[in-house]
Amino acid sequence: MKWEIVCTGIGGRGVLLASAVLIETATSAGYHAMASDELGMSQRGGSVVSMLKVGSFRSPFVGRENADVLLSFEESEFYRNLTFLKAGGLAIVNSAQREIPGPVRTLLGARRIDCHFVDADAIATRNGSIQASNMAMLGFFSHFAIGPYTFENILSAIGRRVPSKLFEMNKSVCDEGRNEAGRTLAMSEVQP
Amino acid sequence: MSAREVMIGNQAIALGLVQGGLEVASAYPGTPSSEILPAVIDFKRRYGKDIHIEWSVNERVAMEVAFGAAMAGKRAACMMKQVGLNVAFVPFIKGKDLPLEGGLVVISCDDPGPQSSQTEQDSRLIAALFGVPVFDVSSPEDARLLAAYALAYSSRIKKPVVLRSTHRVSHAREAIGLETPTPHGAIDEGVKLTNGTQLGIVSSGMGFNVASDVLDELGLEHTVSLYKAAQIFPCSQKLLRFARSLENLLVIEETDEVLEALVSGTTRVLGRTSGHVPRQGELTYDVVRAIIQAVSGEVGLKSRSFSPDADIEAAVSTISFPPRPPKLCAGCPHRASFYAMRQAFPKAVFPGDIGCYTLGTSQGAVDTCVDMGGSIGLASGFFEAFRQDGVASGAQRSLLGKASEPSPSAKAKDAETPILASIGDSTLFHAGLPLLYDAAAKGKRFILVIMDNGTTAMTGMQPTPQSGIRAEGVSEHAIPIEEAVRGFGVGFVKTLDPYDIPGMIRTVREAEGHLRKTGRGPAVVVARHPCLLSAKTGKKAYSDTLDLTAECDGCGICVKLFGCPGAPFDEAQGRIRRDEGVCVNCGVCGFVCPKKKDGNRRSRCEKRVDAKIGA
Repeated sequence: MKWEIVCTGIGGRGVLLASAVLIETATSAGYHAMASDELGMSQRGGSVVSMLKVGSFRSPFVGRENADVLLSFEESEFYRNLTFLKAGGLAIVNSAQREIPGPVRTLLGARRIDCHFVDADAIATRNGSIQASNMAMLGFFSHFAIGPYTFENILSAIGRRVPSKLFEMNKSVCDEGRNEAGRTLAMSEVQP
Repeated sequence: MSAREVMIGNQAIALGLVQGGLEVASAYPGTPSSEILPAVIDFKRRYGKDIHIEWSVNERVAMEVAFGAAMAGKRAACMMKQVGLNVAFVPFIKGKDLPLEGGLVVISCDDPGPQSSQTEQDSRLIAALFGVPVFDVSSPEDARLLAAYALAYSSRIKKPVVLRSTHRVSHAREAIGLETPTPHGAIDEGVKLTNGTQLGIVSSGMGFNVASDVLDELGLEHTVSLYKAAQIFPCSQKLLRFARSLENLLVIEETDEVLEALVSGTTRVLGRTSGHVPRQGELTYDVVRAIIQAVSGEVGLKSRSFSPDADIEAAVSTISFPPRPPKLCAGCPHRASFYAMRQAFPKAVFPGDIGCYTLGTSQGAVDTCVDMGGSIGLASGFFEAFRQDGVASGAQRSLLGKASEPSPSAKAKDAETPILASIGDSTLFHAGLPLLYDAAAKGKRFILVIMDNGTTAMTGMQPTPQSGIRAEGVSEHAIPIEEAVRGFGVGFVKTLDPYDIPGMIRTVREAEGHLRKTGRGPAVVVARHPCLLSAKTGKKAYSDTLDLTAECDGCGICVKLFGCPGAPFDEAQGRIRRDEGVCVNCGVCGFVCPKKKDGNRRSRCEKRVDAKIGA
């Protein structure tokens, strides 16, 4: 099995840490994985794209409409990078909005994209710090348990990547992200 | 499985060098090479090695230190970005023929695109052109193995060699083996896929890996033959045999035609010369996919085809989201300096330099950006040209891209166009000092604002000479910038905090007055305020929040002249908005807002700045 994942967001909001956790998770589970971080000239506030390919690939670069998963840590970066996502792919977007704008919703439907807007900032703020919203995103993603990305595997990689004094807070944010996914998906099954 | 650790390509290069017996390492930071030397420090400590490690003042010094050590029997390496290799060109060209007792690896990291350089260059071409052996790394793990191999190879042939990386490898991340690589004879990986003779691809670097993934996607992995070159020069006979065995050979390489030149004449070669590969820019996955799809179709191979879904762009175009051009950070002292310079002399000519502060273009306070130290050299040239003509002529203005302003008649009233150059502290020491000496010796009348933020910020906070901090943290021999400048005989040297906008404007005008009065330049203003990313004191700079939004009438002046990401323009509201997560409460925007020019809030701002800088 192999997967192509794109993480997008803006500088200073933990995109690269999340990407580092994802590659750690894959390599710990015995997969070959390579990632590439692309960040603009600005240190903070600029667009950040991190690509990750897991499995029998040679390069970390993701082509247009090839990504299985698009994790957007900021809503505008979701639209900017939507061309990466393949038809039938999974998108998770950090946004306080509940509604996906009409034309995009139609497009996602036509391309059979499974798209979830989640207020990761609010989850992180409730459980400690807005800076941990990347952990809420990872928790939400773990709900789908794609390949090596189970909650336990992701959490264990987080443990290796974040300072021990911050681990409990990150863990609770990640856990809350996973629960949020459970709730959202249960609701969508009731009201399709 | 042996121990592995996830790291970026630059760390892997450092590991390979340390495993290969590195004894002396020197570098000047430059994206995408900057992480190598700090990683050498980490692995030296981890493995308890005896390695001399230094940040040199520029790449030429780095190369000469490594050269000297290698001539005296050490295994040495120097690291730089591709533009840095130009700076080190003099010792490189002569030194390539000097006999070494030890070994020397020159690591040059290229920037296809370019993403953060003034020029796109191919270090493989420079090495091959002058007959220096050169290796091209294709992945972080490959980079580790080749770094160790290159060091052993150089020690064996007693000549310097070049290890070329690109940002696409240097900043890629993968699990790296920690075991010491076993030295082996042949490093060129050669034929990877033997398929039909209709089409073959030869590639090196990350381009090889991308091409390989694309062949899989297009279903061509069983029809196209593939060759991976690791040693670019001298090139392997196997490569030439591979080329001759094919009817068509596509060359995928970044950034110039090096492999393409080496295989030319062997068969029908498709690449840049034939127009199949773009001459400029990064070979991204999409670019390589388009090339291989077009070429395989042209030679009559059946492949899966990819065609983009234009509906994505159509749907996304209905949504407005902010463009994110590179910007100076919120609270960056450079933004304050540029604003003050522009306010002091809106019509000045602004020669700029290389660093974060190149971004002063967006504030209209940087007109040129050529090379490290170029601000001072160009300022000298502008001065002589303007003096010869009496005024800045229309032609000269348009040369600088400012044809529309000001009108020549208005201009003619000025005896001289003020020339207001800017340079950072690290860049000043890297390349600016000889130029500044020369300008002082000849009395060139321009103002130089030295933007001293105490660090090499753009490449990741490497220490600069005036701090005296060495690569491994020891602090000694600090050199105050003012002493160096005064030592050259510069008559006007004033230092202040650029957050003090009125003071900055006053001082820049005072500097111009000094030039007029004495008839001798240059005049130097040292704008000193620590980089907020380095000092991490930004958030604590002021106790109370300065909120411009209440009085904002949407005039947009702060957006145009200041452009702080902490106060973006809110199109829906028609006025600026304070971004809580980004604003650092520096309060400098209080000087920029026209609503606050004479009000209470503005004087409060000035008081706060006075208190902060102890004026």
